[in-house]
Formats: sequence, structure tokens, C-alpha cells
Amino acid sequence: MTVLVLMEVSDASMETLTLARKFGTEMHAVRMDAVQPFAPDAIAALLALVVDHLNPSAVLAAGTDRGNDVMARLAARTGLPFAANCVIAEPGDPGSLTRLRWGDSLWEMARLHSPRPIITVPPHTFAIEDGPLPSEVDVTPFLAQLEGKDMLVRVSEHVAAAGGGVLLTEAKVVVSGGRGVGSKEGFGIIEELAGLLGGAVGCSRVVTSAGWRPHTDQVGQTGTKIAPDLYIACGISGATQHMAGCRNAKRILAINSDAEAPIMVNADYAVIGDLKEIVPAISAEIRKSR
Amino acid sequence: MNTVPAIALGVVLVIAIALFSRRAVLLYRLVRLGKPSKRFDDIPGRVRAEAVVVIGQSKLLQRLLPGLMHAAIFWGFMVLLPTIAIAMIGIVDEHATLPWLGEHGGYALMVDVFAFLVLVGVVTAFAIRKIQRPPRFVGSHLGEADVILLWIAGIVITLFLWHASRIALGLNEYAAAWAPISNLLAHAWGGLLGPGVERVAVWAHVLLILSFLVYLPYSKHLHIFLAAVNVFFGRTKSRGRLEPVDFEAPAEEVRFGSATVADMTWKQTVDVLSCTECGRCQDVCPAYNTGKELSPKLLIMNLRDRVLADGPKALASPGAKLQPLVPNAVTDNVVWDCVTCGACVRECPVGIEHIDHIVDLRRNLVMVESRFPEEAGSMLRDIDRASNPWGKAQGDRAQWAQGLDVRVLQPGEAPPDVLFWVGCAPSFDERAKKSAISTAKLLKEAGVDFAILGPREACTGDPARRMGDEYTFQKQARQNVATLNAAKVTKIITTCPHCFNTIGSEYADFGGRYEVIHHTEFLAGLVRDGRLKTLAGDRKITYHDSCYLARHNDVIDEPRELVAASGQAVEMPRNRERTFCCGAGGARMFMEESRGRPINEERVREAAGTGADTIAVACPFCTVMLDDGVRETGAKLQVVDLATLLSEAVDRKRAKDAAGGQTP
Repeated sequence: MTVLVLMEVSDASMETLTLARKFGTEMHAVRMDAVQPFAPDAIAALLALVVDHLNPSAVLAAGTDRGNDVMARLAARTGLPFAANCVIAEPGDPGSLTRLRWGDSLWEMARLHSPRPIITVPPHTFAIEDGPLPSEVDVTPFLAQLEGKDMLVRVSEHVAAAGGGVLLTEAKVVVSGGRGVGSKEGFGIIEELAGLLGGAVGCSRVVTSAGWRPHTDQVGQTGTKIAPDLYIACGISGATQHMAGCRNAKRILAINSDAEAPIMVNADYAVIGDLKEIVPAISAEIRKSR
Repeated sequence: MNTVPAIALGVVLVIAIALFSRRAVLLYRLVRLGKPSKRFDDIPGRVRAEAVVVIGQSKLLQRLLPGLMHAAIFWGFMVLLPTIAIAMIGIVDEHATLPWLGEHGGYALMVDVFAFLVLVGVVTAFAIRKIQRPPRFVGSHLGEADVILLWIAGIVITLFLWHASRIALGLNEYAAAWAPISNLLAHAWGGLLGPGVERVAVWAHVLLILSFLVYLPYSKHLHIFLAAVNVFFGRTKSRGRLEPVDFEAPAEEVRFGSATVADMTWKQTVDVLSCTECGRCQDVCPAYNTGKELSPKLLIMNLRDRVLADGPKALASPGAKLQPLVPNAVTDNVVWDCVTCGACVRECPVGIEHIDHIVDLRRNLVMVESRFPEEAGSMLRDIDRASNPWGKAQGDRAQWAQGLDVRVLQPGEAPPDVLFWVGCAPSFDERAKKSAISTAKLLKEAGVDFAILGPREACTGDPARRMGDEYTFQKQARQNVATLNAAKVTKIITTCPHCFNTIGSEYADFGGRYEVIHHTEFLAGLVRDGRLKTLAGDRKITYHDSCYLARHNDVIDEPRELVAASGQAVEMPRNRERTFCCGAGGARMFMEESRGRPINEERVREAAGTGADTIAVACPFCTVMLDDGVRETGAKLQVVDLATLLSEAVDRKRAKDAAGGQTP
């Protein structure tokens, strides 16, 4: 049995091989970077040509953003069903599989009726095992067959995220502002402190509905969930909806003029007072100590 | 008997009935195409609804002018129905009439009066539509309504003309004195009303009626047949209950909500065919009134158009490829704008149940397509994993009760008299906790034997269910029912109207049958029985009715008893069962409100307009929404749960008694 795997240089792809070995002993690989810069339609077209050539019994890829993107396009091109994010998959027609739905909250057990299942595997599902590695398909002849329209979707430019490039989800320190900041301009002192700490700027829902910050900055139940080492909440009352977004922060420092604000219950440290005085004072201290 | 008119009438009748039946049979088949819905229980309740809503016109009369207008036309036509037969007999033989009724003077008087009332009704309807132009008609087929009104006017005018000419010709079978208006016309136009006019009038009358009959099933005026049917099959009890999805059914029969018209239940098909585009639903809808995409009226109209377009295809070939309802009939935004407050359902005079349509569309989007506002995903995940919508540690559930000496019911212990089902928000939300604390204190004060479940209490699943995630809901429901049944709990009080509705109205479907009481009802009982002694204070309090309490479950008066016991009451314009949502229902609590104006601020402005200093609430979600609204609008209002207000009143009474004791 032949199986085709779309490979990236990552652990996720190596994990995918663990499942791929179930589907065939003769393994072939096409590299994700076979087309540069990344162009999902072109890679899907390439895979379709290789599939026609090799006639594999299954096509697999890691369930990364790119993997799922390309495989969805391959499925559309070939008219074959695609099962994304499978944590269990057994060969056969129908094959049985279990896949993650709803952001991992549900395991769906399904039968896949397909002569050639297209499957992706979410990262961290299978262990990387020793075993035969796929042979890389020589794609040169197939690349020549790609058409201009296959290249329409491609990465044309990399733009760093606004806000100094520190991602809210990855920042070690997040300095957040709430209603207490008072205005769009008021975020100047928040940005300054975040910059000094090498952190990111966050905000509460009130701030985004007032239009002071974009929704991408919003921390909370309906915004971004973060887990920084330190969360500095300035002028944020700490509604449950907000705290749901930062409950995984290791330490919370609340700066608020209201000692009765709900955030005080959840904060590890608190400064009671006007953030417009306290935040610049902290920034000044940091500068002094450097 | 005259042969020629008899044959002519026979031919016309056959044609009219044939044309009518052709359409009626199609519509009937479309309804029969619908999926099952259990609507044949509680026949006495259904007959009562028919008497009150259809015959009594109760919902229409909630708005006085349009209500009286409609009632005049409706009751008028009820009275006039036999005149159709009388006119047909008159065509065949101008000297004959319907035995008894046609010869009865009293009936002639009623016909004269009610026909006149119908005309007054038609003129009023035109005045409403052309002069007053209420916004509820935005989006309705206005031209069609004009045609229908003119048709009705034509039917009544020809009837008068016929009666008048009969009187003028001396053909009337009863004393002319019994029909004052026709008599007046006969005397005024006496010379003009010859036998020719009499023939033309009666023929015109009958032809207008028969053509109207043919037109009806092609028009929105079909409601004159279907309203009675739809009201009969409406919910008679547990209005807040949703029909469960039967996941145990054979795979091909499980209905994951509605993807296409072929998935709709027969009741839903009757719903959409009944709509007469009056717009009362649109008028009261919190989403529509704050500038969002959803209009319950357009939702139903668009579904109807899709049923009429795709239904026949489904009838022709059962496997036909039908257009998905979302986004072809309604957009995703429309589906997610709904707060499931039920204002539209409560208002609809023809018994349309809009929420069922919305929830079925959501069920399909969530369970089949995995397509929903992404910010709500973490709520679903957290209910599933952490048993509460914010992912808080379940072990902290009883933390609010620290220091209050509240018994946490352990497995195997004897059940208390009442179980206090706290709910997620009062357990974890800092603002909502106050209501739980006040309730517990008051129960202690009154010496009630109660306990909480602590970490064994899990989210009822209400927000997941209203989102359309029936899997997660049923998982929660089964888990909670198992816990409650094992604990042998029989009586439950809860501060959350959503828990109240879910446990009280929906858990019975999963084997959980308990007496569920809202804390406002229970506390009002304690005050009534003298177990809590209160003294009203100076607060000027306006009470905000929660949708799931007042509208879905008829708990209206008890909260007001608590208001009266605590301070000075003042009502908002939209109150009791016609309350206006806070914006949190239907899982909207867990979605961004990015379209239109915030609903909570709208409601807070309404409360501020009463001059009150306090908004009393009886729901933890209303507490959070309205409190946010107060901060946002800067209104000078405090949002306080009724239990906390009552607790103040009890303290006040105790302080006064103590002071009184000191000064003999």
C-alpha cells in the first residue's frame, strides 16, 4: 500500500508519520516548501498531480494551519472527502476515525467512505516513533505542469503585528487598560510601561466597545485568553467576563482607585490609587533603575 | 328557482373551489412534509388558547386601536359568514332565503351593525397604514395589504347595496326596520335601486367572496385560516422549554436543527405560512430596536419564501438538493442576534414561535457546520470541561458561602427541605455573588432547612442549549439530573431564572422532576407568612422583569411583593410579561454585541427615565448586564438583587425594633 504525506520541517510532521505508517508501507513525501513562497493552491495542485501518478491509498498531513489549508484545497480539487484533525484513524473503506471538533471540546467518531482518505493529524497527538521514513517525490516534472491561476493565492509579504511585535498570547508581561484609562490617548502611559517591560498591551471589553483599542487587544471571555507571567490590570474592575481571559496569568497586579472592585479578589498585588499617577511612576522607576 | 343563474353559480363555485383546493392541497402537503412535533397533548389548554387568543383577540387587543380595528373586522366576518349562503340562495331565487336565520329580524340587525363595523375597521386600518404609518410595517408587503382591505370593503359595500336594493324592491324577507343602515340607503337611493342593481350587487358580492377565497392561499391573508390552527398547536405550558434533540434515534432520523426547509417541523411550516406581516414582533424585538440585523418578522417572511420556493422541489423528489437556509433565507448575523427573550412569541397574535426557528438554525450551524461567533467557543468548552462557562475551578464553587455556615450536601446525606441551586454566576461572579449571600442569609433568618450542592453542582447547560449546542446541554442535564435524583431532592430554589427555567421546564425531558421555585417567589412566601419581618426604606425602586422569569415562566407578582416590602416602587414603561431584555439571553452574554446599540444601555436609560435610584433585578445575568449599562451610560442608578434589597429591609426592621425596645 502506498501512502503520500505532505511534510513540513516540524515535529508535527514527524508525528504524522506515526499514523501514516498504518496506511501503507511504501511512503512518499511532498515537501510543504516545494513551492516558494507558500502558495496553498499550488501545493494542492502539485499534490493532485502526484496523487494521479502514485495512486496512493491515503494522503496525510499535519493538522497545522498550513496543512489543513492545503488539504482542504486538495479535497476540493479531487472531490475526495477530507477529515481534519483526526486523533484516531483506521484504514479501510469505510475507514473509521475520531476527530476533534469545536476547538477540541468534542470527539467525533465517524466512518469515512472514500477510496483515498485525506487526513490531517493535530500536533501533539501521536508520539514520534522510529520507523521507515518516506522517500521524497521528485516534483520537478509536476511543477512544470502548474498553471498561473494556481499561484493566485500566495504569501506576498510578511507584516509584523502592530504593537511593537510582541504577541498578546505570547507576551510574558501584559499591561492592560480598562474604563479607568479614560480615553484612547490615555493608553500612551500603558503602552509606555508595556514597552519598558517588553510586554504587550491588552484591554477590557469596555475599551474596545468605546473604540479606544482594536478587538485584537481585548482580553477576556470573548477576547483573547492569555497566560503571562505578570498581568498588570490598570483601571479594570475585573468582571468575570474579563477574568476568564487572564485566569491563567501567574501573577496579577491590579491598579485601581476602587478598593472594592472585584479584581481585588483575584489580584496577587494591588495598588489603590489613580492609575494616571501610578503607571507613569512605575515607568519612571524602571527607567531610573536601568 | 331560476335555472340559468343556478347553473352559472354552480360553474363559478366549482371553478373557485377547484382553484382554492389546488393551492390548499399543496400547502397541506408542505405542512405534512414537516418533521414531527408533539403538539397533540393538553387539548383543554389548546381549546382555551383558541377561545382567548382567536375568539377573544386577546393579543391583538393589547394595542387598543389596531386591536379594536381587527376585532371589528374579525367578529364582523364571524357574524357575516351565513350571509354568503344567503346571497347564493338569493342568486338562485330572489324570493328565497336561508331558513330561520335568513328570516330572523335579530340576525338582520346584527348583519347590518357588524357589516358597518367591518367598514369602520377597514377605514381605521387604512388610517393606521396611510396616516399613522407605525414602523412595525417596515419590510411588510404594503401593497398587498391595501388590495386585501379594498377587497374586504368591496365585499361589505356590495352586501349593503344588495340589502338596500332588496328593501327598495320590497323583496326583503324581514321587516326593513331591523336593518337601519340598509333601510336608510334604500330610502336615500330608492329610485336608483332597480332589479338590475339588485342582481349586479348580489353577483358582485358573491364573485368578490369567491375570488377572495381563491386569492387567500396565495397571499399573506392566509392567516384567516391558519391563525386558528397555529394558535391551537402552540405551546400551552412550559413556554420556555425547547424540544430536545433525540440523539438516540436512528442516525438518519436525528434532526440536528434545520439546514434546509426539509428539516423544519410541521408546526414551523404552519408558523411561517400563518404570518400576516403585522410586525408586532419586530416592534418589541430588543435586537431590532437597537439597530441589529434581526427582525423576527423578516426572519419568518424569509423562511416562508424559502418554504414556498424549495418545499415543492422537496415534494417532487425527496432527495432534491435544497438551498441551505443560512445564508440563503437569513444571514448568520440574524441567527446570532437573537436573545431568545420571547417578546416576539409573546406578542404574535397568530401563535408563531420564533425562538424555535432561531434555535433550530443555530443547532444546525453549531452541531453540523461548527459555524458560530468564535468568541462563544470558550464558553462551550468551559461548560464541557469545567462545568461553568468561565472555566473557574469547580472546587471553588462554594467559596461564596465561606463564613455563612451553609450546609454543603454530601453524597448519601439526607436531603434538606429545600435545595438551594446557586448557579454559576452567583457562585463565581463577584457582582452576582451578593444575591447568593443575601439569599442564604435570609433563608437562615427564616429558619429554612436548606443546603447547597457545592462542587457537585454543574452548569445547567442553558447557554450551550440556547447557542444550539445540544450535545453539551444534554451532557450537563443528564449529569445534574443524576446528581439531584441520587440526592433525593424534591424541592429546589434558585436565584437564576435561566437555571429556574432549565431545571423546572426542561429537565423533565431527562428524568428530572422537581418543584422548582425562584428565590423571589420563595422569599415572598416567607414575608407573607411573617417568617421574615421587613420595613420598607426610602429607595425608589424600579423592578426589571427577567425574560426567563416573567415572560417564559409567569413569575411576575412575587418580585413586586419584595419591591413593596423594600422601598417605593415605580414601573418602567415596558414591564411585566412585556419586559425588555437586558441583552444576555440566548447565550448573548458570551458573544460580542458588535452590531447596533447595546441592549443593556437601552434598558438602563428606560430605568433612569422613571426617576428611580435603584434597579431591582432577579437574575445574575441581568445584574451584570445592567450594572455594565449603568457604568457605560453614567446613569445615577444602583443595580441590586431583590434578595439584597429584602435583606436590607429585614435589617431595617430589626434595627427599628431594637431601638423601640430601648425606649420604653
